[in-house]
Amino acid sequence: MSIIRVKEGEYFNCKFGSYKHADMIGLEYGTKLGSNTVLPHRTQILYIADISFVMDFLNLKPGMSMIESGTGSGSFSHSIVRTLAPTGHLYTFEYHQERVNAAKKEFEDHGLLDMVTLQCRDVCKDGFGLENKVDAVFLDLPAPWEAVASAKKAFKQDKIGKICTFSPCIEQISRTVTALSENGFVDIQMFECLIRFNEIRVIPMWTIEEAMEKQRAIEKKRKRATPRTTRENKSGEQKDQEDEEEENDESSAKSKSIKVEASIDDSNVSSEAATPISTSGSDAEEGVSVVFPTSSPAPTPATAEPRERIDPKNITVTKLPLEQRGHTSYLMFATFTPVVQQSSPTQPSAEGKQ
Amino acid sequence: MATTITSSDTINAGEHVFIKMPSDNVKCLVLKPNTTVSLGKFGTFKANDIIGRAWGHTYEIYDKDNKTRVYHLDEINEVEETENNNREIIDDGSSQKLSLEEIKALKSEGLKGELTGEEIVNKLKESHATFEKKTAYSQAKYLQKKGKKFHRIFTPIKPTTYSVNEYFYTKNPAKIRDIRMDTLSQLLSYSNVHAGCKLLVVDDTQGMIVSALAERMGGMGTILGLYDGDNPHYDVLKYMNFSQEILDSVKVLSWLRIHRPADETSSISPTNQPTTANQQQILQMTLTGKDLEGYHRRLKAYTIVEEARKILFQADFDGLIIASQYQPESILPKLLPYIRGSRPVVVYHPHKEALLETSTWMRKCPDLLAPQLTESWLRKSQVLPGRTHPEMSTWGSGGCLLTATRVLDQPVQAALTKRERAAMEKKNAEAKKLKREREESENNAASSSSSSSLSVEATPSTTTTTATASTTTTTTTTTTTVLETEVVVESAEAIKEENDGDERAVKRVKQE
Repeated sequence: MSIIRVKEGEYFNCKFGSYKHADMIGLEYGTKLGSNTVLPHRTQILYIADISFVMDFLNLKPGMSMIESGTGSGSFSHSIVRTLAPTGHLYTFEYHQERVNAAKKEFEDHGLLDMVTLQCRDVCKDGFGLENKVDAVFLDLPAPWEAVASAKKAFKQDKIGKICTFSPCIEQISRTVTALSENGFVDIQMFECLIRFNEIRVIPMWTIEEAMEKQRAIEKKRKRATPRTTRENKSGEQKDQEDEEEENDESSAKSKSIKVEASIDDSNVSSEAATPISTSGSDAEEGVSVVFPTSSPAPTPATAEPRERIDPKNITVTKLPLEQRGHTSYLMFATFTPVVQQSSPTQPSAEGKQ
Repeated sequence: MATTITSSDTINAGEHVFIKMPSDNVKCLVLKPNTTVSLGKFGTFKANDIIGRAWGHTYEIYDKDNKTRVYHLDEINEVEETENNNREIIDDGSSQKLSLEEIKALKSEGLKGELTGEEIVNKLKESHATFEKKTAYSQAKYLQKKGKKFHRIFTPIKPTTYSVNEYFYTKNPAKIRDIRMDTLSQLLSYSNVHAGCKLLVVDDTQGMIVSALAERMGGMGTILGLYDGDNPHYDVLKYMNFSQEILDSVKVLSWLRIHRPADETSSISPTNQPTTANQQQILQMTLTGKDLEGYHRRLKAYTIVEEARKILFQADFDGLIIASQYQPESILPKLLPYIRGSRPVVVYHPHKEALLETSTWMRKCPDLLAPQLTESWLRKSQVLPGRTHPEMSTWGSGGCLLTATRVLDQPVQAALTKRERAAMEKKNAEAKKLKREREESENNAASSSSSSSLSVEATPSTTTTTATASTTTTTTTTTTTVLETEVVVESAEAIKEENDGDERAVKRVKQE
């Protein structure tokens, strides 16, 4: 929900599109409006955790050939091509014509056309049309199991190959496993990979002694502000010192807290948010309840007389963001085993098992 | 077949190979022709049987002569649910009717090649009193478990970044400083490694990172590794079966050799610096026997070091990767000047806490942008139709990455007022003086003790870290560099306007 001020000639833009203010002027409240332009929609791109892991598992390196489907926004295609360059090749397939056009333009603009073959093709229905060509296959399709048999043909038949399917749902995984296994792929493994971004903060870590010290300083300030203490303070800095010593003495706690209560109305007292003022334990024990004006919004006066600074130890900490990614997709990998060479050094391919 | 098999596609004699056994344990060995390889209880095979064959097959040891054949793994099928349940199964150890001795006998028969692993598992199954009562899932699990014990199959695995990392991460994670495959793969992405790039690396993961980078570069480009101690410890490199071309793309330089104290030069250089070819010729003529050999050895070593130093001082690296056991923020300022602008800087450390101070340092450093501390999470699942679930135990930590972008800090001098520029120049001069003094003292320390401390001589970039750090006059300490630059611009403009206003006021006064 957004509040806008309606003005002729302005636009309201949101993730659903662009809306002309002019279109709504004069309409009754509650009238539905269609957007003028639909923002160019491109497919969700893979995250760096998935891209990295897939490229590592598929052992991508310069000189390799690979299949990718679908091309989508072409983001992963770029990562792949950069890794296969300068001698490798990427065959990428996308059934959506507009996406093909957008990707084609980008490959062209980025000078990648000689390393990429982009085809508008529904690989689930029509296959890849490639035989004995690639070292690796990556399938990011709604129904990857439909493309597995064709992928098998596309692998270079006399050497090992790796395939990865990328599916968000566990049901897709079930069907793909069956298809991979039926087509002779082995060593089927599944992973999920996420990156956790840490927030780093430097926070003050007060000891309870430091907190009490600080509190005492505040109390002393209040004391000074009251007429009586002001008069006492006239004797100068030496008096301050004495006060401090006196405060350190536990036996004087009671009289002090009473003084505090007397000066509680003092509006000059500021409580800094960073200062951990807990309900003061020792005062409570004495049976005197002290209420601190914690909600006092009064800012610390910039020209305040020099206070005793208590500098706590700062520590550097990390925190995971309150909300983070919990799932992207299941990454399933399998190995294409080379067709057994008939001229193998020892015996011909055995029956294996019955 | 159309494709041509290259040597990297086949199992070659004299190269490293990982042998995966039914127990999922992996054995690493160098294949020597005409030898036999023992896999313990899983049998023995002849190296020649797999040498020259393509990677990717699983082999079965099937007879008395330890012959092997390609083994075709079962299709994975859906388990058909039955009415069975475990209500009547009592765990009293009496289900297996075969005695321990009898099972041992079966096992030794298997080792002799008289029984296949499958036959043994079948016998166990048949003599199991309650096998038929088990649920279908439980039966499948039983067969799988026994198979892992008695099958005599093995799979040669090709060394790749992934498999080598998996091997060491499982076997000896401390060796590679706990860097896990997913973290390593992210390091590769963040470092933007590709064929033809030039990277500066401080790798204390026994060369795991250097190996991964070298594989991605395929011998095109340069990796310069800085090391301390007598030799670079890049043990992992040798497991990768790299071609000479790829090995040649990895250069190394000792931290101690980056800058040589004057007196050290003579001890490393082959003679007292034979500068001209003529001098060298004369030396070669006068030296004989061992002396000449020694001369050539020293000359070679000297040339290698000089070449590496030259690569470093060109100061045109496309990325900096640090996975050192030493404090990263002590390394960064020394190496950043050699990295080009808008290039990635990646720091790996097994402990997150060790990177916290580094991150704070990076935030304050005007030569780095947007530091980000990440940790990776990886989970593996069992995938079987109808039986898919995450594995019961998973990986804990796989290390942390701190990434940032190298930027070239440019004080926006044009926008400064005279007053401000004067103040800045004064500050810069002070900072430079301080830096010089520090360097001098460091140099003294370096020459007196042979520690690995060094100073950055011939700083290639025109901007120096310390000098520019003080250009900001109005910012708070924890903003990023970009913010700082912007603020400088703003404040400078504001002051300019103020001054303009003042000037106008002065003029007005004069007119009046």
